[in-house]
Amino acid sequence: MEIHRLFTNRLFTPALFVALCLVSTATNPYLQYLLNLILVYVVVAVGQMIILGFAGQFAFANAAFMGIGAYTVALLGSHFGISYWVSLPAAGVLCAIVGCIVGLPALRLRRVYLGLMTMGFAELCYWLFLHWRDLTLGTDGVKVEAPTFFGIRLDTDDAAFFVIVIATFAMVLLAKAILASRYGRAFIAIRENELVARCNGINVPLYKTLAFTLSGFYAGIGGGLFALAVRFVAPDTFNLLQVVLHFAIVMVGGVGTLSGALLGALFLTMLPEVLRGTQAAQEMMYGVLLVGVIVFMPKGVAGYLIERRILPPEVLVHGWREEVRERDGIPQADAKPSTAE
Amino acid sequence: MEPLLETQDLTVRFGGVVAVEDVSLTVPPGEIRGIIGPNGAGKSTLFNALSGVVKAEGRINFDGRDIADVPVHRRAGLGLRRTFQHVRLMQNRTALENVLVGMHLEIPANPLKSVLNLGGGVSPDRAARDRAREVMSFLGIDGLILRETGTLTIAQQRLLELARALAPGPKLLMLDEPCAGLSVPAVQTLDEILLRLKEEWKLTILLVEHVVSLVIDVSDSITVLDKGRVIAEGAGDEVMSNPAVKQAYLGTEEVDAA
Repeated sequence: MEIHRLFTNRLFTPALFVALCLVSTATNPYLQYLLNLILVYVVVAVGQMIILGFAGQFAFANAAFMGIGAYTVALLGSHFGISYWVSLPAAGVLCAIVGCIVGLPALRLRRVYLGLMTMGFAELCYWLFLHWRDLTLGTDGVKVEAPTFFGIRLDTDDAAFFVIVIATFAMVLLAKAILASRYGRAFIAIRENELVARCNGINVPLYKTLAFTLSGFYAGIGGGLFALAVRFVAPDTFNLLQVVLHFAIVMVGGVGTLSGALLGALFLTMLPEVLRGTQAAQEMMYGVLLVGVIVFMPKGVAGYLIERRILPPEVLVHGWREEVRERDGIPQADAKPSTAE
Repeated sequence: MEPLLETQDLTVRFGGVVAVEDVSLTVPPGEIRGIIGPNGAGKSTLFNALSGVVKAEGRINFDGRDIADVPVHRRAGLGLRRTFQHVRLMQNRTALENVLVGMHLEIPANPLKSVLNLGGGVSPDRAARDRAREVMSFLGIDGLILRETGTLTIAQQRLLELARALAPGPKLLMLDEPCAGLSVPAVQTLDEILLRLKEEWKLTILLVEHVVSLVIDVSDSITVLDKGRVIAEGAGDEVMSNPAVKQAYLGTEEVDAA
């Protein structure tokens, strides 16, 4: 049996959801925390993947959006006592707006210049988290109030898991639908060649701005979920290392694939934990593994697995598998619309 | 009949260089207009000016409206589509995705429909997929619909780029050297396709091409450019026997149709 068929099965997503819920009942607190963190990073990674992996914009403000999202939730809760159910969407919307604004100068900047500008923005946000003490309490950090659900306080990792897993699945399924639509195709077309995109009727500035907005929304929601997972928000989380982590997740996962965001988040969140036993060698091993992936899997883990037909190909067209069924008799096409020859 | 495309004194300058100078074209609907000229005559620049990619002075009337100030993506929306001298496709995406990029404006912009598929049973890209398959089958490449573009031959890629331009149902198709890199049989295939587009689709086509035999075969009339200016215009034989054309285009007295 071909493994990729497993992932395209209609029951795969519900089955994965149920499986994760079952797993969470059998975890110890540490593993539960780790599982929550992985799911949070999946959402954050989708944000970085949309702007960098799909729209091809060298934007590194994702870590800043994640920070803004996390602080929005933490501060709205601690300063104003606003419920998590309100502050989480608020974090997403706020970051979408900030993303849109950050995207505006990006319309005039390309490649490294855009990279520098957005990295500067990330540093600025870090600086604000650190020094705007009246608002953020600086290095003291902010404790995140546990949300309540019909009177039940969700103050354990097990309880937070259910919020996070539902939000993550919803966000990933939404991303999948967006990317398979004319919006996702416009992003890719812009990444490949802006001139061609324009000649095909795509309003390039509009769609770039849209990609920034969407990416901000994902990172903002991811940040809000992060606040729930760690229950404490401090500036140092959102320093340059966080920027590099998001970039690495996209590169290691596989540029331009949604599964890449998922796998990248999974590996790079687990890796430091797995390497924890190696003590001093941890950071070195981490670096070596990253270099190894880039050298031996230039299309990232997802790209590698798609080529080996372990993961299904990602075609950015709604219902493209119908094409296969309609002209059956060429069974291999279902698998991989490429590299067969 | 009202012309589909009419330019008046179209001029494109790059710094001090005048790439296209005072070009006035009148193309009636349903006509295939060949545009020939030696390298550097300004053919591609003319296309870029018409599609809006480079800034031009002068007037461009398309389908009854002045489009000189209309941005590139809107011109595409008005039905002005083109291909490129060097094939420009998304190489590591499927043929289908490439064609659907061309149909961007044909798919509803409303995200509730095109993303979430609310209020509709069939998948939101369904109509576009059907159209893509129809156009690709017209061009004889429907078997490649899910193939990765980078694995296709250059001839197949040329046809795929043509499919991307045809799928939205353009009013004016601009082909920039569609035969470049093609074998003789592939050129023959293209020749037949162009004639069918004229007969069956009643499509208006601007054709920049160096394979003069093809241009003469399919064009209703031919415009010859040299150094950015129109030096001759008319039916194929008439233009090719024009001494100024022989002089500019070939540099000799002999006209070799190949």
